[in-house]
Amino acid sequence: MKGVVGALVIAMAVFTVAPLYLMVKVSVSDPADIMTQHPPFLIHRPTLRHWNRVLASGEFWPPLKKSLIVATFTALGALLLAVPAAYAISRLQRRWKYALLLSLFFTRMFPEVGVALPIAMTFIRWGLFDTYPGLVLAHLVYVLPIAAWILTGAFETIPRELEEAAAVDGCTTWGTLTRVVLPLALPGLSVAALFSWLLSWEEFTFALYLTLTERTLPLQVYYYVYQGNWFLTATYTTLVTVPVLLLTYGLQRYLKAGYLAGAIK
Amino acid sequence: MSFTNGWKPSKRALNVLFLAPLTVYLLGLTLSPVAYTIVLSFQDRASQDFPSLANYRAVLGHFQFSRALLNTLVITALGLSLELLFGLAMALALASRFLGRGWVRALMLIPLGVPTIVSAANMRYVFGTVGYLNEFLYRMGLIELPVDWGDGGFKTLLTVVVADMWKVTPLVMLILLAGLEAIPGELYEAASTDGASQWQKFRYVTLPLLKSSITMALIIRGIDAFRIFALPLTLVGRSAPVLSTYAYFEYLDYNNPYTSAAGATLLLLMILTAVVAYLKIVGTEEVLH
Repeated sequence: MKGVVGALVIAMAVFTVAPLYLMVKVSVSDPADIMTQHPPFLIHRPTLRHWNRVLASGEFWPPLKKSLIVATFTALGALLLAVPAAYAISRLQRRWKYALLLSLFFTRMFPEVGVALPIAMTFIRWGLFDTYPGLVLAHLVYVLPIAAWILTGAFETIPRELEEAAAVDGCTTWGTLTRVVLPLALPGLSVAALFSWLLSWEEFTFALYLTLTERTLPLQVYYYVYQGNWFLTATYTTLVTVPVLLLTYGLQRYLKAGYLAGAIK
Repeated sequence: MSFTNGWKPSKRALNVLFLAPLTVYLLGLTLSPVAYTIVLSFQDRASQDFPSLANYRAVLGHFQFSRALLNTLVITALGLSLELLFGLAMALALASRFLGRGWVRALMLIPLGVPTIVSAANMRYVFGTVGYLNEFLYRMGLIELPVDWGDGGFKTLLTVVVADMWKVTPLVMLILLAGLEAIPGELYEAASTDGASQWQKFRYVTLPLLKSSITMALIIRGIDAFRIFALPLTLVGRSAPVLSTYAYFEYLDYNNPYTSAAGATLLLLMILTAVVAYLKIVGTEEVLH
């Protein structure tokens, strides 16, 4: 039994690491070691040529800028809209709370292609197609339910008695919220903001439907996949993945099943 | 602060005020687009007649649609079974104590942090004709000539399933692990006292108490498996369409939002049917926990 478990764990570990190893390997390999009938598994002739090409090409910085700006504004927008709502949900009666959380979850049943298509058609008419604000608005569709879910969990941990005590001490409703509830919820707010940022950073479908000229980084990856350029693809995927891996590693202890229900695609 | 100083709104007013922005947003940019898609799907492209079944007739008679439907069903059924099987195996392995458990757990969770588009792109190195799986099989002496994984048949679907498993089995594992850790140890002790074997403990203690976790994993994963889009688009593209990519290609290649909408609506209908049917079978209270 022990042996079977050990073998399974090792096999799963190799299966988990191999594609990421290949990604980094291809990005630093000489083409002669990759584009061959029998490619070696180890890195024989390391080269930084693909990295230099990507960083020097001028093709990298505009998508990076777009991805950074859109992700940041998506995270801010998510907090702005989801914080009040999540607070209200966390203070509702049990059955209302579950009804609202469940309906947030149900928005995930809609196929993204069925949501992105009409949004693209509408945004063309509104002049939001292929713009930063348009993409932020679309990303919020995808991010908001998850942010609200995480935030509700965060507000639930703050005891109501604290608010009552603040009210007894003469705090107004507004004062209680800004001076008692929000400071206590700050860790939860940061997790929600980082998660929203991440989800926007790696979002693909809405970006695909809403972009014509200025690509985001995930679209840039897709573009090079379709060009069939393994090396530039590998370099871009590494660049997209590194910040995500670092952030998720930092967020790991918050990765509870409940959050994940919505947060991971 | 002056306008907020004497502000003592009722609880209900505050709730409405706080919930309104999010609700309006989601109604406006999630629910109404879905409604718009459904309306489009019933509108005739040429005559603008409404309601009309022309798009559905076109889609259902389309060879690529039947392929996409079949592919989606195969990917969902195969993917869910394998993810559940491996997720459960991993959860059981990680629930026992062993040296380096924390490290293994952290390692297993890495794919959760990798963007879908990246996992799809990486799998092209694995499943390419001169890719590393072929090289591995060749060195093991299992094949002479490279296997064409992208021929659009069952093999290609298998690559999508494996790529999807890579990304989401850790999620299934986490959900099941949370469920396993919630089972009180006394139950196993009691079972041992009664002389239960390992298998009996698993079958009569673990599985029944894991039911709500399994339900949750199946619903979350089932919905996403039906909707799967970025992964097959990037990994296999046109060679093996699924329902989502079919709808996308209708829009992209034929510039036809009407048939694209019909495809998306049929997909939504499938998801709804599957979720409702599943909840009917297992009961709703399982999900609320």
